[in-house]
Amino acid sequence: MEPNPGTLAGSISIRPDQEETGFESLQFREEIQRLIAVPPENASSFTALLELPATQAMELLHSPPSEDGDPAPLSSDSLHGISDDHKSYISSFNGNPTFPSNKALIERAAKFSVFASGENSPETSSVPSNSSANLEKVKSEPAETDSNPNSSQPLVSDPTVESKTQRSAKRKEREKKGKGCTKKSKNETSQDAQKLPYVHVRARRGQATDSHSLAERARREKINARMKLLQELVPGCSKISGTALVLDEIINHVQSLQRQVEFLSMRLAAVNPRVDYNLEGLFATESGSLVDSNFPSMVAPLVCPEIPFSGSRQHYQQQWHFDALQQPLWGREEDSQTFITPENSLLSYDSANSASLHSNQLKMEL
Amino acid sequence: MRSPSSLKQEFLKRWMRGLQRCTSSSKKDMNILERKKVIKLSADLAMASARNGKTSWSRALIANASRDNDNRILAERILGPESDILIKRVSTSVGTVSCNRKIRSKKILKRSCNSVRRVRKGTHLPHQKVLAKSIAKRLVQKRTQILKRLVPGGEFMDELSLIEETLDYITYLQAQVDVMRCIASATELKNRNND
Repeated sequence: MEPNPGTLAGSISIRPDQEETGFESLQFREEIQRLIAVPPENASSFTALLELPATQAMELLHSPPSEDGDPAPLSSDSLHGISDDHKSYISSFNGNPTFPSNKALIERAAKFSVFASGENSPETSSVPSNSSANLEKVKSEPAETDSNPNSSQPLVSDPTVESKTQRSAKRKEREKKGKGCTKKSKNETSQDAQKLPYVHVRARRGQATDSHSLAERARREKINARMKLLQELVPGCSKISGTALVLDEIINHVQSLQRQVEFLSMRLAAVNPRVDYNLEGLFATESGSLVDSNFPSMVAPLVCPEIPFSGSRQHYQQQWHFDALQQPLWGREEDSQTFITPENSLLSYDSANSASLHSNQLKMEL
Repeated sequence: MRSPSSLKQEFLKRWMRGLQRCTSSSKKDMNILERKKVIKLSADLAMASARNGKTSWSRALIANASRDNDNRILAERILGPESDILIKRVSTSVGTVSCNRKIRSKKILKRSCNSVRRVRKGTHLPHQKVLAKSIAKRLVQKRTQILKRLVPGGEFMDELSLIEETLDYITYLQAQVDVMRCIASATELKNRNND
C-alpha cells in the first residue's frame, strides 16, 4: 500500500488549509469522469475539486506547464501536473484548446476564492485532523482516479498512457519534495496553531496519520508537559527519566507529606492541653530565638504589631485594611515599615501580590 | 502558580479562625485523639476552602468531611458561616462527579475495546519491544492507580487532570506542613521557656 500512495502523495495538494478534502476527493473521481464525458460543464467541478485560492488556480491555468525541477510548493506542482493532464484530456476531446472552460474556471475560481478566503480561518480549524486523516484517503483516491479515466476512455489511451507515466514520474519527485516540505509546513502549521483555537499537528515522517493517533499524540504531549512540571516540584525528581520511576517519586513524596501532616497534628495536640493557639502570646517571647527560616517571615509580622495592641484582630483588620490599599507602592521600598505592612497584607485579602512581596522582603532581611 | 508564602498566610489565617470557632463552642476538654482530629480537620478544611472549590481535590476533601454525620457537625462549625454555600457548591459538583463516573466507565469500556482492536491489527515492532512496552505501560498504570487513591477525589479523573490535581495538592501539602511545623516548634519552645 505504501508505494502507490507514496507516488501519488504529491498529486493532490495536501495542505493543511484545504477544506473538506475527504468529501471532495470522493467527488474528484466522479468529477473527472464527468469532466471527460462532458467537457464544457467541467467548470464548477474542477475548482471545487482543487479548492485552492483563486490566485494560484488562475496562475496555473494561465501559465504553461512547468518543469519538474521547480522547487515551488507542493500544491502548485501538483496542480500543474493535474492541470496538464486534464488539459490533455480536454483537448483530446474538444479539439478546441481549453479556453472556454478556462474562462469559466477562472470565474468560478474567483467566486470560490471569495468564498474560501472568507471562510478560511474557521474552515481550517475544522480540518485539523481531517487533513491528515484524509491524507490516506486522498492518496488512495488518485490511484483509482488514475485508473478510471484511463479505462473509460480508450480513445485517449495513447496520450493518457504517456501523461500517466509523466505524471507518476512527476509525483515521485513531488513526494520526495513533500517529505522534505513536511518540516517546513510543520513549522507553518505550528505557527498557525497559535492563531487558531485548534492545535494543528502535522504527521512527522514515519508516523501514523490516523486521526486517533494524532489526538493521542497531542494528549500524550500534554501529559508529558505536566509531568515535567511535577518533576520540578518534587525534589530529586528531575534527574530521573522514565514515567514509572517519576511517578514512584511523586507517590512517595505525597505519602510522606501526608504522614508529616498527621504527625504534626498529633504533636500540636500533645503540646497544648487546650486547642487554642494564641498567636499573640505565642511569639511574644520567641522572636529572636527561632531558627526556622519560614518562621520569622510569618511570625514577625504577627508579633510586633500585636504586642502593643491587645484588642481583637478584627478591629485592626478594619483599620489596616484601609492602609493596605494605599501601601502597596511605597511599602515595598521601606524596610523599617515592614513589620506593619505585612500584617496589613496578611489580614487584607485583596492585595495578594503585595503580601508576597512583603514576605519575600522579610525573608531576605531576616 | 500562587506564591507559597501568600498561600501559607492564607492557610494560617483560616486555620486559626476555624480552630477558634471550633474550640469556643465546645466547653469540655478533649482528649488527645480528638484534639488531633480537630486540628487536622480544621487544617484540611482551611486549605480546601482557600481554594474555593476550584480544584477537585478540595471539593473532595470537603465532601469527605461532611459525609459522616459526626464529622459533619464539626466540619460545619469549623467552616463557619460560609459553610452552607460551600457545602452546597461541593454537593452539586459531587453530583457531576457521579455522572462523570458513568461517563468514565463507558469511556473505559470503549478504550479497552479499541486497544484490543488495535493490538489485533498487528504491531510492527518486534516481539521484545512489544513486551517491554506493555510491561512499562502496566507499571505506569499501577502507579497511577496508587496516585489516584492518594489524592482525594482522584479516582474519577483522567490522567491529565490527575496530574494537575497532584500538582496543586502537593503545593498545598507543602504549605500546610511548613505552617504546622512552625507553630508546633513555637509552641514547644514557648512551653519550654515558660517552665
